Amino acid sequence: MTWIAFFGAVEIGLVYALVALGVYLSFRVLDFPDLTVDGSFPLGAAVAATLIVGGANAWLATLAAVLAGALAGLVTATLNVRFRILHLLASILTMIALFSINLRVMGRPNVAILMQDTVVTPFTALGLPDHLVRPLAMLIVVAVVAALLARFLASEFGLAMRATGANPRMARAQGVDTGFHIHAGMALSNGLVGLAGALFAQTNGFADATMGLGTIVVGLAAVIVGETVLPGRGLALALVGCVVGSVLYRLAVQLALSADSVGLQASDLNLVTAVLVAVALILPRLRQKRRVAVR
Amino acid sequence: MIDIRDLHVTFNPGTPLEKAALRGVTLAIPEGQFVTVIGSNGAGKSTLLGALAGDVAADGGRVAIEGTDVTRWPTPRRAGLVARVFQDPMAGSCADLTIEENMALAARRGARRGFGRAVTHARRAVFAERIATLGLGLETRLEDRMGLLSGGQRQAVSLLMATLSGSRILLLDEHTAALDPGTAAFVLDLTRRIVAGNRLTALMVTHSMRQALEVGDRTVMLHEGRVVLDVAGEERARLDVPHLLELFARQRGGTEEISDDRLLIG
Repeated sequence: MTWIAFFGAVEIGLVYALVALGVYLSFRVLDFPDLTVDGSFPLGAAVAATLIVGGANAWLATLAAVLAGALAGLVTATLNVRFRILHLLASILTMIALFSINLRVMGRPNVAILMQDTVVTPFTALGLPDHLVRPLAMLIVVAVVAALLARFLASEFGLAMRATGANPRMARAQGVDTGFHIHAGMALSNGLVGLAGALFAQTNGFADATMGLGTIVVGLAAVIVGETVLPGRGLALALVGCVVGSVLYRLAVQLALSADSVGLQASDLNLVTAVLVAVALILPRLRQKRRVAVR
Repeated sequence: MIDIRDLHVTFNPGTPLEKAALRGVTLAIPEGQFVTVIGSNGAGKSTLLGALAGDVAADGGRVAIEGTDVTRWPTPRRAGLVARVFQDPMAGSCADLTIEENMALAARRGARRGFGRAVTHARRAVFAERIATLGLGLETRLEDRMGLLSGGQRQAVSLLMATLSGSRILLLDEHTAALDPGTAAFVLDLTRRIVAGNRLTALMVTHSMRQALEVGDRTVMLHEGRVVLDVAGEERARLDVPHLLELFARQRGGTEEISDDRLLIG
């Protein structure tokens, strides 16, 4: 693996760290298996790319992408909370609908950002080579987001959200409006994924209708790798784990793809991801079984 | 304090599983009274508590707390008025949150939850002081996960949590039933102390006849969704367990033998 490939993997890993944080919020905090992210990731990319190409300010375009993602999360939450559709199915409905919406937003299957200023542009003033600037910019964004998220989850509001996922009956008895907190959490989760999509479009220079495929699996892989590498109960630690997990996962994939002897190509990415997640889910169970057998 | 008028609750209305759980319960409980509630399985005890807490929707009658009609209020809205301890020690707290986070959650019951830190140094000091009164040594373990505590410890903390936000009403749904006898006695004693110390109005559902007569100052027996016995004061003082069992058996159809061992053992 070349240095450029290494930093490229770190950069993508950091972009997807935002997806991992969003997935951590839905899967782990709210206990809400949410597949909306497969739609809200390209939605964020489509909204940001279309606006930037249309001449909008990159930061405002990114903000719009976050809001679009949050809106997608709210739709899923409403389908589940208000209309009692099973959470998994509710999120699949939103995801499928978003595929059409993303095509509408872009007006064509993909949009390229070529010459326009992006949120990365100001960082190029540092004078570093291009392949270092982008990961650095992403690192700053991810660090700020993770710190804000940790602080949010330690607040009274965030605590009520965690109780909503951990024990909804108890939460209601403590005066927590669980339906409201599911809405808020899903909006936040998909807003983060929308942000990831917007940053992906700006660092890679394009948005594509099919780029969302498997986003949930990649996010989940990062969460699981993070939990394996940094086990423990602390909340801040878990969020750091999501970020570290996402970067490690990307490096592992990059390594697998760049080793010629393995014979994998870029289009095998989804297969590799699925196998990795399956192994990560199976391993702890096997280890547990062995421990029981030893006793 | 609590005014229940002609309360009706029906589960699964209009289906083959339709069940009238409460059929016109009227009960007025003055402030500071500690009422024990007994009755056979399916008599409507838990439903009555659920209707007071807001988990169960009434389809007739009304529930008023402190003069306010709360019949249509959902559970979270009533939570500022009513605190609750469940039978299952796991149900009343979050295993994945720390003890102090659980207490912080309870301390804001019925209040707005903002973006300030949930557990501050000042609050931690208050929590440590309050939890020390349990005498379980938990004041040094505030940062431990709730799931690490035993069932009895969790029920004790749940009781304490009920007092943190100043709710005036405490609902106890067989909260000692899942504990071993020694722990149950400790939790029951703690219940008495907390209810008396905070001058709470309390309803305690129990399966034990002895508990029903020894604890609190009024006993209500439910049968098939109706109040069939309501005793307090001297009349209650004269009642003993065999007497109560006899009344209980008569309600169940006179000749029917009491099949539930727990009633006799209690």
